[in-house]
Amino acid sequence: MKVGLFIPCYVNAVYPEVGVASYKLLDYLGIDVDYPLEQTCCGQPMANAGFEDKAIPLAAEFDRIFDNYDYVVGPSASCVAFVREHHPDLLKKEGHACRTSGKIYDICEFLHDIVKVDKLPGRFPHKVSIHNSCHGVRELQLSAASELNIPRFSKIKDLLSLVEGVEIYEPDYVDECCGFGGMFAIEEPSVSVCMGQDKVHNHIQTGAEYITGADSSCLMHMQGVAQREKLPIKFIHVTQILASGL
Amino acid sequence: MSSKAEIIARVKQHIKEKHDMPTIEINAIQYADKIAQFKSILQTTGGEAIELQPDENLNELIRAHFTEAKNIASNLPEISLATINPDETADPHSLNQIDLAIVRGEIGVAENACVWVPQLMKERVICFIAEYLVILLNKQDIVNNMHEAYAQLNFHNAAFGVFISGPSKTADIEQALVVGAHGAKGLLVVLV
Amino acid sequence: MSTKHTKAADRFIANKAQETWHNQTLHFVRDKRDKVAMQLPEWEELRDTAHQIKMHTITHLDQYLEEFSTQAEANGVRVHWAKDAEEHNRIVYTILHSHHVKKLVKSKSMLTEECHLNPYLIERGIQVVESDLGERILQLMDQAPSHIVMPAIHLKRQEVGKLFEEKLQTEKDNSDPTYLTRAARAHLREEFLTADAAMTGANFGVAATGDIVVCTNEGNADMGTSLSPLHIVSMGMEKLVPDLKSLAVFTRLLARSATGQPVTAYTSHYRKPREGGEMHLVIVDNGRSDTLANSEHIQTLKCIRCGACMNTCPVYRRSGGYSYTYFIPGPIGINLGMLRSPEEYSDNVSACSLCYSCNNVCPVKIDLADQIYRWRQKLDSFGKADPMKKIMSVGMEFMFKRPTLFRAGLKMAPMLNYMPRPFVYNGLNDWGKGRELPRFASSSFASLWQKGKVTGAKQKHTDHE
Repeated sequence: MKVGLFIPCYVNAVYPEVGVASYKLLDYLGIDVDYPLEQTCCGQPMANAGFEDKAIPLAAEFDRIFDNYDYVVGPSASCVAFVREHHPDLLKKEGHACRTSGKIYDICEFLHDIVKVDKLPGRFPHKVSIHNSCHGVRELQLSAASELNIPRFSKIKDLLSLVEGVEIYEPDYVDECCGFGGMFAIEEPSVSVCMGQDKVHNHIQTGAEYITGADSSCLMHMQGVAQREKLPIKFIHVTQILASGL
Repeated sequence: MSSKAEIIARVKQHIKEKHDMPTIEINAIQYADKIAQFKSILQTTGGEAIELQPDENLNELIRAHFTEAKNIASNLPEISLATINPDETADPHSLNQIDLAIVRGEIGVAENACVWVPQLMKERVICFIAEYLVILLNKQDIVNNMHEAYAQLNFHNAAFGVFISGPSKTADIEQALVVGAHGAKGLLVVLV
Repeated sequence: MSTKHTKAADRFIANKAQETWHNQTLHFVRDKRDKVAMQLPEWEELRDTAHQIKMHTITHLDQYLEEFSTQAEANGVRVHWAKDAEEHNRIVYTILHSHHVKKLVKSKSMLTEECHLNPYLIERGIQVVESDLGERILQLMDQAPSHIVMPAIHLKRQEVGKLFEEKLQTEKDNSDPTYLTRAARAHLREEFLTADAAMTGANFGVAATGDIVVCTNEGNADMGTSLSPLHIVSMGMEKLVPDLKSLAVFTRLLARSATGQPVTAYTSHYRKPREGGEMHLVIVDNGRSDTLANSEHIQTLKCIRCGACMNTCPVYRRSGGYSYTYFIPGPIGINLGMLRSPEEYSDNVSACSLCYSCNNVCPVKIDLADQIYRWRQKLDSFGKADPMKKIMSVGMEFMFKRPTLFRAGLKMAPMLNYMPRPFVYNGLNDWGKGRELPRFASSSFASLWQKGKVTGAKQKHTDHE
């Protein structure tokens, strides 16, 4: 099994440790991991802002770069969801059949559904509050969306339970948006900040020391809010907890 | 071309892909004790359901619940305490002072405590204008859900019919629930 | 970078106490909706069936309109057809005028809001009285609804108390909701008793039987139509369902989705005119037939106006109904406004973080968020795209298309650590409003990789090989 590691642009620049943790996890599980160096961005920021045409060349490049792998795996639910849900439509406009959309996975769903990992080394003796991100929940089904009457599940919870010492919490309004939303965060700053403050507050109310989740973009937004308000909470991507023994 | 013809032609012309009608076979909720479910939901709506016991007199039971009621409207033959027959009223506006109206319901629905009341009276306004409303319902006529209710709905060739679930209510001021907006301030369903 | 929505949202949020109350109160309605939805094991099956029934009905609408109008006419209802708002208003006025109506009582109808019927009738000398409590409060205040189901949700009880003191002579400083509701009951009872005609909207039209189905909690629609000899129904043509069997599905979904009640207090079926009276039905197109041809937005025609998408929308809850420029706010309103006029209502398209919660609560499964995403793609062609977002998108494309440039940028970035990640660098101020900027790592993942610093846990790795 050959996996192409997809490290979204902002993770690359701001949270390389999330990429490193992802690599370590996959490598530990015996997977042949490669990082194609010419990758840049999936195109979601432009598309969500209304400039899908600017994302088309990036989608085409993405598809070419990752074509030779059995799976494409990335530590960002939102970016993965964009490739899976939107790249086929974007590439259709160019008369190109998308080949990666069917084999791309967020690292949590990959570990949970494909590798079916059932034990991990290491300890993380901390209280964490799971941030169920919108695209993780409602596009990738990483957990049962709170609006739906379907059996309850959470892939992130299942994975975190493999790490010794983790105490798992979830906030009130369990999967409400944190207010990031790409360019929404800067086009509607008041609403976005207000959503972020409410979300961080709900996480803090659980008594957790860390907010963790599958989307660094949400974590980045909430971290910005928490730092501005000097709130006593830390942030960590779920892969970093899962790789704590590696 | 009439507006109707224009609209229909436009609609026809604009429909691109036609979708099939699904088979409506909902695996809908059933209750082991429909009467208990009906009663419990009715209570949450601010209404009340009581079962008439074999040794109880219907008129006395209603009277005991509404001791103050003076003007009582009903066209049901078994309601001897009625003071007004809405079928003999020339003008519905004259029914404004009714304290209590008593009507017959035909279907009760356990899932939401609504009762089907077809307009089997000349002036249906009694169902809404009375301060309090009593609906008589045969407890064998309580069904599980709305699918069952609509499947056996009888309109009796009437002009109007209504499912009533609890008393009139509103929460338009700060979402604070207030019972008795325009219609009945209280609803009693007597299960016979 | 800001839209009219952005600016109005700023003002709404500036009153933090009000924003918090509004947010929490509407989320409480969402919680109630969740609770009743979870009580029905068949909930998702219902939503799916409702979606299919509506898709079927609207794509066979010509047939159902014929069936419905034929049936209604056979029931003695006089059916009128209005291509647009103007024709609708003219028809209603003509009916009222020919019956010498001086006072009309109305129950809640978003369609008559859409058509601006009230001012049209008032200009022509007809007294129009809204009878839904929330609508009446707003009418007395000369305001529009800020929510389609809870029209006065933006008001506090003290404001209603003040209004009633002035208009209904209630006690000074008494803002108890029960007291105020009783006062409105007495006041509106008089209006019902003295009205010459009653008007209602329609939640559903049943093609097979000709029934007009109206759902209320207050009983105001029934009070009006049971007293008055003249009943006029205004109905958008997408409100049809094929038959009573189909209707059952929707009566189970509507109130649960809207307010978290298992059903509304009154689900009224109007089939024939009152004895000795008249019942008129105005079937309105007003742009709906155009939406039928629009495959990207056709699903808006499934809407049953429950308002669940507003209650769940994290943006609506924190910005209020008046922050939107279209008369219907929230996710469905963003889309309906764009269908009405993209040039006029594009300011609402920013009011969405693409969280997709609306899609999940919608009882008829309208793809609300996907549609907003699609509208964003078109803003540029309407000349309504934000120039800054455009520059940023063009800039990002330029950089991301050039991996070498991107990696060079990654290397430079830490030196400019006061800047956010590359693609927001033009939006510094807006990000900085309530958030600290993220700091670039001293080495990006790409450069760690290039330097061979991304390594696995060798020993364990070997175990697996």
